[in-house]
Amino acid sequence: MKKVSLLALGAGFLASLAFAPEPVLAQDSTLDIVKNRGMLRCQLGTPAPGFYSLSDDGKWSGFDVENCRAVSAAIFGDPDKIEYQSVTSAVRFTAMANGESDVLSRTTTWTLFRDTQLGLDFTTVNFYDGQGFMVTNELGVKGAMDLAGATVCVLTGTTTELNLTDYSRTNDLGMEPVVFEDSNVRDSTFFSGGCDAITNDKSSLASTRAKAPDQSIFTILPETISKEPLGPVVRQNDSQWNDIVMWSLFAMINAEELGLNSGNVDEMKANSTNPEVRRMLGVEGDLNKGLGLEPEWAYNIVKTVGNYAENYERHMGAKTVMNIPRAGSVNDLWTKGGLMYSPPFR
Amino acid sequence: MAVVDKAGPRKGGRSFTEIVNDERYRSVFYQVIVAVAVIWAANYLITNTAENLQARGMSAGFEFLTSTAGFSIAWSIIDYEPGDTYFDVYLVGIANTLIISFFAIIATTLLGFVVGVMRLSKNFIICNLASGYVEVMRNVPLLLHILFWFTLSAALPRPKNSLGLGDMFFLNNRGLYVPAPIPGEGFGVVVIMVLIGIAAAFGVTVWATRRQMATGQRFPAFWVGVGLVVGLPLLAFAALGAPLTFDYPSLKGFNFTGGADVPRAFCALLFALVLYHTVYMAEAVRAGILSVSHGQTEASYSLGLKPSWTLRLVVIPQAMRAVVPPMISNWMNVVKNSSLAVAIGYPDLVAVFMQTSLNQSGHAIEIVGMVMLFYMTVSLTISAALNYYNKLVQIKER
Amino acid sequence: MTDATQSDTAFRPKPSLPPPANTVGVVGWMRKNLFGGPVDTVLTLLGVYLLYVILDFVVDYGIVNAIWTADSYRECLDINKGEGACWAGIGVWFNSMMYGRYPDEEQWRINFGGIVLLLWLIPFWLPKVSGKIQVGISAVLTFPFLAASLFIGGDIGIFLHAMTAIALTLFVSVWLNVATCYLMGKSLPAVLISVTGFADKDDRLHKYVLLGAFGVGFVLALLYHLSWDLVEVPTTIWGGLFLTLVISGIGISSALPSGILLALGRRSKMPVIRVFCTAFIELFRSVPLITILFMAVTMMPLFLPVEFNPPKLAMVIVAVCIFAAAYMAETVRGGLQAVNKGQYEAAQAMGLNFWKMMALIVMPQALKLMIPNIVGSFMGLMKDTTLVSIIGLYDILLMGKAAGQNPTWLGFHTEPLLFTATIFFVLCFAMSKYSQHLERTIGGGYGRR
Repeated sequence: MKKVSLLALGAGFLASLAFAPEPVLAQDSTLDIVKNRGMLRCQLGTPAPGFYSLSDDGKWSGFDVENCRAVSAAIFGDPDKIEYQSVTSAVRFTAMANGESDVLSRTTTWTLFRDTQLGLDFTTVNFYDGQGFMVTNELGVKGAMDLAGATVCVLTGTTTELNLTDYSRTNDLGMEPVVFEDSNVRDSTFFSGGCDAITNDKSSLASTRAKAPDQSIFTILPETISKEPLGPVVRQNDSQWNDIVMWSLFAMINAEELGLNSGNVDEMKANSTNPEVRRMLGVEGDLNKGLGLEPEWAYNIVKTVGNYAENYERHMGAKTVMNIPRAGSVNDLWTKGGLMYSPPFR
Repeated sequence: MAVVDKAGPRKGGRSFTEIVNDERYRSVFYQVIVAVAVIWAANYLITNTAENLQARGMSAGFEFLTSTAGFSIAWSIIDYEPGDTYFDVYLVGIANTLIISFFAIIATTLLGFVVGVMRLSKNFIICNLASGYVEVMRNVPLLLHILFWFTLSAALPRPKNSLGLGDMFFLNNRGLYVPAPIPGEGFGVVVIMVLIGIAAAFGVTVWATRRQMATGQRFPAFWVGVGLVVGLPLLAFAALGAPLTFDYPSLKGFNFTGGADVPRAFCALLFALVLYHTVYMAEAVRAGILSVSHGQTEASYSLGLKPSWTLRLVVIPQAMRAVVPPMISNWMNVVKNSSLAVAIGYPDLVAVFMQTSLNQSGHAIEIVGMVMLFYMTVSLTISAALNYYNKLVQIKER
Repeated sequence: MTDATQSDTAFRPKPSLPPPANTVGVVGWMRKNLFGGPVDTVLTLLGVYLLYVILDFVVDYGIVNAIWTADSYRECLDINKGEGACWAGIGVWFNSMMYGRYPDEEQWRINFGGIVLLLWLIPFWLPKVSGKIQVGISAVLTFPFLAASLFIGGDIGIFLHAMTAIALTLFVSVWLNVATCYLMGKSLPAVLISVTGFADKDDRLHKYVLLGAFGVGFVLALLYHLSWDLVEVPTTIWGGLFLTLVISGIGISSALPSGILLALGRRSKMPVIRVFCTAFIELFRSVPLITILFMAVTMMPLFLPVEFNPPKLAMVIVAVCIFAAAYMAETVRGGLQAVNKGQYEAAQAMGLNFWKMMALIVMPQALKLMIPNIVGSFMGLMKDTTLVSIIGLYDILLMGKAAGQNPTWLGFHTEPLLFTATIFFVLCFAMSKYSQHLERTIGGGYGRR
């Protein structure tokens, strides 16, 4: 019987050589794949208020969702030709690199490592965030430096976790992280005093506070301990696709700068004499050629999704639970002292 | 027909059907097919993987294990600093998985015996309480149990008003704080004495059994053994002037410092694992006791054995044969299910290595492979022990 | 006189005294079952106290302080300060937790599929119906195709059309069979043969009659099914309890055949096959499901060619099937070992070959013994399916979590957990009771060997 096994294994080995599959390397461009499919695959995270949340009738909405809607509007002229996918933070990069989706649009921090070693490319930034701490008032803590030896609730698999470690080591604070997979569990732990402080991007801290039974007993400390530029991510080595996603964002920022919004864009298209507006909305010039899109791509974005300011107010502004003021913050336009800046449409 | 070949099968002239119907040839044929299919599939997968990795510009290999992990781990049983490597993270994860499994297994086994006996109790309330417990626990997914206990344990008091037992043990919503033993000079001698005591007790038991076999006289081997195991180290401990001090936890700033501590996630996970798996242990114990037929008890009484001897020499050995296999596979499940720690942030192997490290380094294949390897090693070791035990106690078939 | 004397002296038992008052009735029962001795009394009192504490908390939280109507979680918090449940949210999110993001107007398809499956299985409980095994096999083999074309919809391709038509034909014939069994006392094939007038013809012709009837039914069903016009619902928006049941249902029905093959392979005399099967079983049994799921979503796409790109649900289902098959293989192996060795020997002595011996002698006995274990595995699998929430499939658990992240329902976290736990409890409890019932009825007829 031993001989038989050896024989069988040998035969199998030979067969495997004979049947070895042909290498498949030729890949279609992502734009062609998306157009053929008729749907954009957009990958979000598990619900996070403000950025992407699920309503009880199963619709996704949020600040990061608008990125995907803009791309869909640019390609199809319709912002809702999207198949949403939603994965946990721990598997987001592998799911993206594996080609499950076309755009990853979910509070992902742009870092050198992620941009170069995961087979992914970051396009540009749609939200500048920074990590901070939130504590209960009764601790009497005035700043992050008072947190020596404190336990801090943090979400796993994020840059937040690494920043906390770095900050604690740099300032010799000896903070003790308590790591969570699920933000609901993290938040309820913090509310019940399971940690002294909670750390996250400041935008998320605001939404955490909005969950609390009594919101007035929590303070977000003034320190910002990290830079968190968040933006959509695409797969590496498809620069046309990268350009489409990046310029869809720029179109929204530029629209705000030019004073275009979903309400007046039709009128501006018909009457404006500003050459940049006319170029951007496809009235003159052929800026669309390089992207492989229709001339009206940017018009479609502004018309159906809106400009940056509209999106911000809809999901982050004063009227929402997030309540993160924009005026004068880094997320304001460069003309008003912020960092939002679109390269010229020319 | 007329010529019957008495010399056995002919060498050369076998017909095709003869070969097809020959079991040996058939089995060779099947095996070759299976082997070809499996090896071809493996090769296919490996080739694809190599191409995919190349196409995506991702690297493969184990070099990342020596690079700095850069994140800290909330709690670990072995030393870990944020500057350590990914391989250290792997070891920390393994240690944390093993320690929680160890405590969970011990508690599960003890509690399982209690609940199993309770279910057989004649007391209406006790019996039904135990049944209710079993039904509620086993019909709800473990993941929900874990999340539930974790949420519930948040209701424990804050560190400032911890539940304390004397000034030594503290329980609050951060975790459990206990005094840490600090061995002084000469404590090694005490440890050695424990080992000597165990060896001596084992020797006494063997000797007592032999003597009983030969002469029929009994010897209180159990109590002598206990005396040896406990007494020798105690004597040494006293003689050396009690070389052991304790570091007590005390409240400083936000938290307790000093002493040893386990985080709340550990307590909640342990609680959930124990409550859930106790059910399966209890069912194994109940089935085991019921599997010993009443005739065995009666027979042993009629031989004149005392009830206590009947229990020890007749019922328990037979019940154990039915209890041990499910008990050990239950242990295996405890180890495997401790991986659900990831849901509440206890830093076990899956949480620190397959989540955080995988996310930071992106080496999916290597990391998932290493995690699987660990669980396989543990499970196969346990099941090898189980097979050995089964061989020992199996009723010999024809 | 003498008569009287005789009757006086003859033994006449007095009517027996009633049992002492404290051994009968409520008091007696309590003395016996609750206060049998000091230890018993203490235990009873402890038990009652424990029960009181638990019930007190449950009633306070779940009923007294609970809020039944509210428009947001904030509203609940304002009223009861978080000291009671906010069941209002469950009402709002009920649909999502059951069906995930499946469109509201298409949800009848899921209900319809569920009802078809139930109807398909009802003949099992009807005593007069013949051919129960065929009913079971037809349901397990063809219902998944019907369900797939129903749940996914859209352009499903000719293969799925054909399989769905077969499923529909079989489903209708199962119920025609029930009708004929009850009305005429004969099974459907027998009725068909006698109606067409082939009853007195050669037995070999009967086959063709049945095939012909099936063919006619198939064509009708195909025509009917081609007239269906269902909107496509991609698997990415499936979710809720529906998803949990789909994953565990496919897992268990594929696990049975593959588990049987693996178990036979493990007991095989052919070394290569035995080694492969054993390695497969041991590998996947010894690792936690969560690692297999991670493998499915992170590694499987790397294993497959780029253009293949299967949806995540498909990969997760494959992972769950592998996991369930490995466990089922051990259950089956246990069943095979429990079949008396004499049965194997007798079958071989009768001259049956391996497959006939297995199919006709061993498997029927082994399967009967295994039914409780199979139900147990199904329950286990259903509970384990909650782990898919960790890798981001919107099963009932993750859907509940999503509810707590919606801006209006921010913080709505404990109630979905409790609701999910209740649903699992009801489903699993019912199943385990049914399996105990089966154990008694089947085991009873079988007796001890």
